[in-house]
Amino acid sequence: MRGGLSIVLALLLCYGCDRKEADTPPDFAAILYPDDNASTPEGVDLGERLFFDPLLSADGTVSCASCHQPALAFSDGKPLSVGIDGLVGFRNTPSLTNVGYLHQPLFWDGRATNLEAQALHPVGTAHEMAGSWPVVIDALRSRPTYVTAFREAFGDVPIDSTLVGRALAQYQRTLVSMNSTYDRVRQGEAQYTEQEALGHAIFFDLGDDPGGPFAGLVRGECAHCHTPPHFTNQRYANNGLDEAVDLDDFTDKGRGAINGQRYDNGRFRTPGLRNVALTAPYMHDGRFGSLQEVVAHYNSGGEYAENKSANVRPLGLSVPQQAALVAFLETLTDDSFVVGSLRGVGLNTDSTDYSTD
Amino acid sequence: MKHLLLYLLLLLGLTACLDDDDLPAVAETDLTLDFRAEYGGEGLAIQREAYGYPTGDTLKLLLFQYYVSDLELLPAGGAAPVRLAEIDLLRWNSASDSATLTRSYRVPAGEYVGLRFGLGVKPELNAQDPSTFAADYVLNEAEFWGPTTRYVFAKIEANADLEGDGRFDTGLSYHMGSDALYTTVEFARDLRIGPGQTEQLTVVADVLRALSGNGETFAIDNPDQQAVHGGNQAVAQDIWNRLAAQFTLEVR
Ligand code: HEC
Ligand code: HEC
Repeated sequence: MRGGLSIVLALLLCYGCDRKEADTPPDFAAILYPDDNASTPEGVDLGERLFFDPLLSADGTVSCASCHQPALAFSDGKPLSVGIDGLVGFRNTPSLTNVGYLHQPLFWDGRATNLEAQALHPVGTAHEMAGSWPVVIDALRSRPTYVTAFREAFGDVPIDSTLVGRALAQYQRTLVSMNSTYDRVRQGEAQYTEQEALGHAIFFDLGDDPGGPFAGLVRGECAHCHTPPHFTNQRYANNGLDEAVDLDDFTDKGRGAINGQRYDNGRFRTPGLRNVALTAPYMHDGRFGSLQEVVAHYNSGGEYAENKSANVRPLGLSVPQQAALVAFLETLTDDSFVVGSLRGVGLNTDSTDYSTD
Repeated sequence: MKHLLLYLLLLLGLTACLDDDDLPAVAETDLTLDFRAEYGGEGLAIQREAYGYPTGDTLKLLLFQYYVSDLELLPAGGAAPVRLAEIDLLRWNSASDSATLTRSYRVPAGEYVGLRFGLGVKPELNAQDPSTFAADYVLNEAEFWGPTTRYVFAKIEANADLEGDGRFDTGLSYHMGSDALYTTVEFARDLRIGPGQTEQLTVVADVLRALSGNGETFAIDNPDQQAVHGGNQAVAQDIWNRLAAQFTLEVR
């Protein structure tokens, strides 16, 4: 029987072969769509419209896209976010590149479990959209085009914040970037310049490989946390931004403020780095204006705290090596993603300008 | 082609049936298996404890983790092993983590003569890219190096105070893994697992014993031995060997 089984298996495998796809693994593990919010074209369209509509804010001036601007890979170019009435928030606006692939909690401190839940936050947040859900829901219910769009997306159920959250989540799961120079090099469709190749080798610690072309090169240690394909391991780390002789010294406690664990004070979720060249300034408080400053920070080994990651240490990168690392980070830019996302612009007719202020 | 496939599936189903008939019907039962991390015989406390090290230094652990493959119970009488898990990751990385992680399985009740697992990611899985698995699969935990070394089998990370000044300012980071390092760990123990089973099985791993044992201590104060990642695996060979050799199975 054993023999028979292996023949069967071999035949089955062969059946697989002539479909020809087995040899190249997909670039990304597939997005996990929640059971209760499978994406549909209607849901995505509705979510896109909502994302760009300032109707969701108290005075009709701020949309999601005010802070998550397509041209900046859905960030805003400001150190700290600026919401309604010019009120300044306390964190930097993150890019939404490939946010749909993140299955661990969202935000710098992981306080939202998923995209559906996250979308409910900004509307009510005073320094963001300062709206009130009942008002927003009334406004949506009073617009026939929205009523129709919600019905097409979700059937004949009353519009509520849960549905708004679901539509926004569906749209954000379409923000997929996979055509950067980095991706094209991996697919054999492009080549790094010498400088980019050096930066790539530093980022991925290729100097570790005794038999490889970069043997002995200094290591950047970046990929421990900024792990491909989305350049984040979705975990929390202290990358040495602030000295804290005592763990209670951090001004923004990050993860520790959410879970009440003082040993997690000063830890933030590792951000993805796709399109990072478009999303300055950097870090949870936008303290670094350029990638050069970011790399100089890591090269210094960062500031002392007993919970600083053991993988953040003085690197000893020369000036040209630092420039090479920046050049590699720039290969993560995907112009087609930015251009493709711009199709959302101008969608919404009954609103004021949402682009920049 | 369609018909061929149908036929093959039928045949497969048949084979499965025949196999089933060979076995006497056995009752399944719950088995909980604990994985405990320790440092010097005490339950591991990530960050919360300052641990003494044989060189006279002090350290605080930030992370300890390891993969196990083909976790199996070995039935008495030589029947085929009962697989509990094809692959799992045991990870301690937060001060909130309990020293003991608990896993539950359903297994046939009966007499067993041992438990075994492969320390690391078995070669057949190590050959596959994370993107081929579901995003929340245990091989998609961002523990992947790339084409040459592939998955990281085990990690130990700590901050050490080498100067005795109360500052834990020397990072230690040991990341190990490669097909060549994959090691089978086996405990020969008579185990009776049955309905109403009372024996609690605990697989214990002691971080200190991975770093220091048999009269040899890994020199954490040597700057060349403070970071082992990817290709410089040779530096951590001793840690790996000790790690693989120190596992114990407690049966209570
Ligand atoms: C006033 C600016 C502003 C507005 C308006 C705004 N956001 Fe944000 N967004 C932020 C900031 C700042 C953060 C990070 C906050 C934090 O982590 O504490 C953020 C975080 C997020 C995240 C988490 C990303 C990640 O990687 O964790 C998502 C998703 C998101 N916003 C979507 C939206 C949606 C949808 C809307 C509209 C309903 C919206 N934002 C409106 C500023 C804004
Ligand atoms: C120990 C994990 C870790 C390592 C190693 C690490 N990073 Fe980071 N990185 C983080 C975390 C966490 C943040 C966010 C920190 C914060 O804002 O408090 C971050 C932020 C960044 C940012 C800012 C992104 C943004 O959108 O604001 C860049 C750029 C960056 N890292 C690049 C690098 C480079 C280049 C290296 C290697 C030299 C590196 N990182 C090594 C964890 C790490």
